[in-house]
Amino acid sequence: MWKLTLKGLLSHKLRLMLTALAIVLGVGFVTGTYVLTDTINKTFDELFTQVTKGVDVAVRTKASFTGQAGEQRAPMPAPLRDRIAGIPGVKAAEGSVSGYAQFVGKDGKPVTTGGAPTFGTSLGTVPEFQAAGTIRAGHRPSGPGEVAVDARTAEREGFRIGDRVTILFQGRPGEFTVGAIIGYGKADNLAGATMAGFDLATAQKVLNRPGVYDEIDVVAAPGISDQALRDRVQAAVGGTYQVLTGEQLAEEYSTLIAQFTKFINYALLAFAFTALFVGSFIIVNTFSIILAQRTRELALLRCLGASRRQLLASVLGEASIVGLLASVVGLGVGVLIAVALNAAFTALGVDLPSTTLEVRPRTILVSLLLGLVVTVAASVLPAVRATRVPPMAALQQHIVTALPHSVRRRALAGGLITVTGVALLLNGLFAGQGDRLLNVSVGALVVFLGIAVLSPLIVRPLARLLGWPFARWAGEPGKLARQNAMRSPRRTASTAAALMIGLALVSFVAIFASSIKASVNSTLDESVSADYILTGPSGGLGFSPEVVKRLAAQPEIESASGLRLGMFKLDGRTQQLAGVDPIAYGRTVRTETTSGDLADMVGGDIAVRENTAEEHGWKVGDTVAMEFPVGGVQRKQIKAIFKDNRLNNAYLLAMTDYTRHYTDQLDFLAFVKAKEGVTAAASRAAVERAVRDFPVVQVKDQAEYKQDQARQVDQILALFYVLLVLAVVIAFIGIVNTLALSVLERIRELGLLRAVGMTRGQLRAMVRWEAVIIAVFGAVLGLAVGVVFGWTLVRALHEQGITEFAVPMGTLFGFLVAAALAGVLAAVFPGRRAARIDILRAITTE
Amino acid sequence: MSDIGERVRGGEARDVLAVRAVGVSKVYGHGDNAVRALDDVTVGFASGQFTAVMGPSGSGKSTLLHCLAGLDRMTSGQIWIADTELSGLSDRRLTLLRRERVGFVFQAFNLIPTLTAAENVELPLAIAGRRPERAWYDRVIDAVGLRGRLGHRPAQLSGGEQQRVAGARALVSRPTIIFADEPTGNLDSRSSAEMLRFMRRSVDEFGQTIVMVTHDPSAAAFSDRVLFLADGRVVDEMADPTAEKVLDLMKRLGG
Ligand SMILES: Nc1ncnc2c1ncn2[C@@H]1O[C@H](COP(=O)(O)OP(=O)(O)O)[C@@H](O)[C@H]1O
Ligand SMILES: [Mg+2]
Repeated sequence: MWKLTLKGLLSHKLRLMLTALAIVLGVGFVTGTYVLTDTINKTFDELFTQVTKGVDVAVRTKASFTGQAGEQRAPMPAPLRDRIAGIPGVKAAEGSVSGYAQFVGKDGKPVTTGGAPTFGTSLGTVPEFQAAGTIRAGHRPSGPGEVAVDARTAEREGFRIGDRVTILFQGRPGEFTVGAIIGYGKADNLAGATMAGFDLATAQKVLNRPGVYDEIDVVAAPGISDQALRDRVQAAVGGTYQVLTGEQLAEEYSTLIAQFTKFINYALLAFAFTALFVGSFIIVNTFSIILAQRTRELALLRCLGASRRQLLASVLGEASIVGLLASVVGLGVGVLIAVALNAAFTALGVDLPSTTLEVRPRTILVSLLLGLVVTVAASVLPAVRATRVPPMAALQQHIVTALPHSVRRRALAGGLITVTGVALLLNGLFAGQGDRLLNVSVGALVVFLGIAVLSPLIVRPLARLLGWPFARWAGEPGKLARQNAMRSPRRTASTAAALMIGLALVSFVAIFASSIKASVNSTLDESVSADYILTGPSGGLGFSPEVVKRLAAQPEIESASGLRLGMFKLDGRTQQLAGVDPIAYGRTVRTETTSGDLADMVGGDIAVRENTAEEHGWKVGDTVAMEFPVGGVQRKQIKAIFKDNRLNNAYLLAMTDYTRHYTDQLDFLAFVKAKEGVTAAASRAAVERAVRDFPVVQVKDQAEYKQDQARQVDQILALFYVLLVLAVVIAFIGIVNTLALSVLERIRELGLLRAVGMTRGQLRAMVRWEAVIIAVFGAVLGLAVGVVFGWTLVRALHEQGITEFAVPMGTLFGFLVAAALAGVLAAVFPGRRAARIDILRAITTE
Repeated sequence: MSDIGERVRGGEARDVLAVRAVGVSKVYGHGDNAVRALDDVTVGFASGQFTAVMGPSGSGKSTLLHCLAGLDRMTSGQIWIADTELSGLSDRRLTLLRRERVGFVFQAFNLIPTLTAAENVELPLAIAGRRPERAWYDRVIDAVGLRGRLGHRPAQLSGGEQQRVAGARALVSRPTIIFADEPTGNLDSRSSAEMLRFMRRSVDEFGQTIVMVTHDPSAAAFSDRVLFLADGRVVDEMADPTAEKVLDLMKRLGG
């Protein structure tokens, strides 16, 4: 039986190769994802080990907040260092600080990264700590006028020892002389971050850490282990502080990076799985067609005494070999994909120190197994169907390949699956129980399956409709193309299903993106009365409060209001608030209160959004116990309750309170309103004048801000498109495959057409129009599903501020046209084969 | 036999000959594997005549038909369909020639399964982007006796009906000549007789020229003339055949 399996494989080399391609791409993407993230993790592990080399024990305050904005820790008073230095077993102890610092390039523009921090830090003087950063040129900076620069920034910006550079801080910008260029072992920087190093006193001053430390690093005296010293220090400083060994510190950094890479991993894997899912449709299809063509052979084997089980084993054996081979190739392709992805990250500004690619056994195992399982699982259905062939079929003249399936059974099964999927989807989106993302993804998957089961039912009517223009205007080839698209609904449907999934996802993200844009626009129109909106550097970092101060001083400007973000804990849960100056904020952002007044916050305390207040049963005058990073738990009084304006956070904190409870004082946004009667040009000039010293600040009027937001959304959208291209390419391969197989299957028919006078061009046109009908069929289903998905998600995110549902008609129409063109392209190769057939062979072969 | 040969070679009968072949040879393969399927065949088919081609299996009957119809290219020689000489025509010109001048009936698989009987009949015209002449179409359909089956697809038709649809398709474009390769080979005797009567009628009533390959002496008896092939050569011919006469000659040739 094995010999037969192999023979079967070899006789369909080309067809199986196309099938395998779908698996190769899917598996390749999985492998590439793992290799990339493993490599990144390994690189950083090495880097952090290097950076924490000399540190035996580190002390800092416990993190009170871990949220989207990262950890927030209160700083430590300076005398703590002296206490720690006095503990027996401590050889040396040194405090350090770090915070926002951004270089200004020689072109006058701030130096930006692809999302990595731009930070400033104090550089240690204890010899052991100097191992972390290696000075490549110059000397350790000392005094208020010197700075050390990381090697990558120095190289990119052309900073040399002795150059004068401007650096931006939370407070006023400063000018420094480059005293040193620093590397980290082999790496030129820390994961793409830019670093400005100062001596401790300077760092404390410019980074807004007067008299405090963020971390105290300790060197152990000889003869005491890190663990023992850690325990000793912990006992001495008490429970407010967290004491770690150097190794733990490195591990913690690694974990932080690992969380980030895990996110990349999941995101990329999601696309890889989508590709494999789409690929599985192609496998189902190819095996169905190939096995249908071999019905007579299988029946003959049954006549000769082969059991059904033997046939099944033979067919599944074939699938296993294809799956395994494809996975092995996919593994190789995956390594190349990892290299490409790495290059893409570098292009995005994330510099990774070069290390060899990390291919772990886990990666190999997962990739091979996945490819194998998907292939075999997808071939089970066609295999079972094909091996049900009665032995008699071998003897019959005409073989009825497609058993008449009960329409009602299909409708019932498909309907049930679809409804289940929709239920999962809705549960994930609206009920919010369990793992929502998982619910939504599985729901979407099941919906796709359900529609794939249902779609053969609508192939005939829909293909008739879509094929009408061809039948009408493309002559006999068009008419035959329409018939061909309709003749095997299951084949057409499952070929189109692959494209449907790709297009559903693409159109879904397009709709979602345009809904976000529309929502942003309407929010701005309704809630912002400011003329200008000021933002910080990309990456969500804020800018100095000095900006707002200077703005407010301009005669052309009526009000300027900064908005700062912060985390706090309420009943143990971390929440976000916005710190605002109530008077200025009230003038620039429309906030309608239902009770109390924002102006009542002038002396301090909070305002709460209506629905949040209702949830807790709060009224104006009630007090809420909020835990802040600085100052711990505080009772804050509610001064006002406001209606949702889709812009305000649920909690607004008076700026006077904010400055007391948070270490970093950075405005995230600023709103500026010009005085009445001042021309746009004059007010703009005033704003530009005020921000002149702060090149990170970007000034936008409402229209520019909208454009900017739209551009950001479009960038993310483009990324999604790129990642979804894979699924669409696989679907495309599926169309090529089906058509090529159909051409082989209909070879006698094609020969007959040629004999009675059809030209090669007409034959090609026939295949082409069939491809277009199939592709457009898939696209129409996909767009429909995409619109429904998009609508559902927008409904679900109404609370999160996505209030508008906008369908980008032009874009969707573009997808439809692109699908039709893809059909034309997909038909090139099969069409050529059809045109090249030998007429005589075609009509004389039995 | 030389009689016809002389006439064809001389070209004097160009007007009455729908199709003529002069010195046609066809060799398959090369070197040691070469098979001479046709060996210097010279033959003509008069307009409005029904010719049967007979001969043992492998004698070159199908090859002759395919070459005459422009489906296969001869190795040497010349073939004219009406005034057009086939050698040297491009694939496209050959295709157009088939579409306009030649009709086909094969032994099996004559019809496009997705098309109805009527659509199959109109296929060559539809491919050319033309519509059938109504009156002529009706006469053909009536002659073939398919009026009631026009909306059916091939799978719903009997073997005999399918062959007659193929016959109607061949006829409806008014070709110069119809080639039929064992058109009754897969049919029972009743369906066979129906098919043959239809072909006879096409010749008698419509003046159609038909060349039919057959193994069956009683089928050959429907024709006006029988050509006998052996080893790629025309070895004999007979006018006004009857089943007995044909059988006799076959026995003689075979012996
Ligand atoms: N495509 C081909 N390649 C090689 N030999 C062929 C081919 N077609 C036919 N032949 C050979 O040519 C000879 C004539 O075949 P054919 O015309 O089919 O005979 P008939 O129709 O009289 O049975 C046979 O010997 C056959 O084997
Ligand atoms: Mg033959």
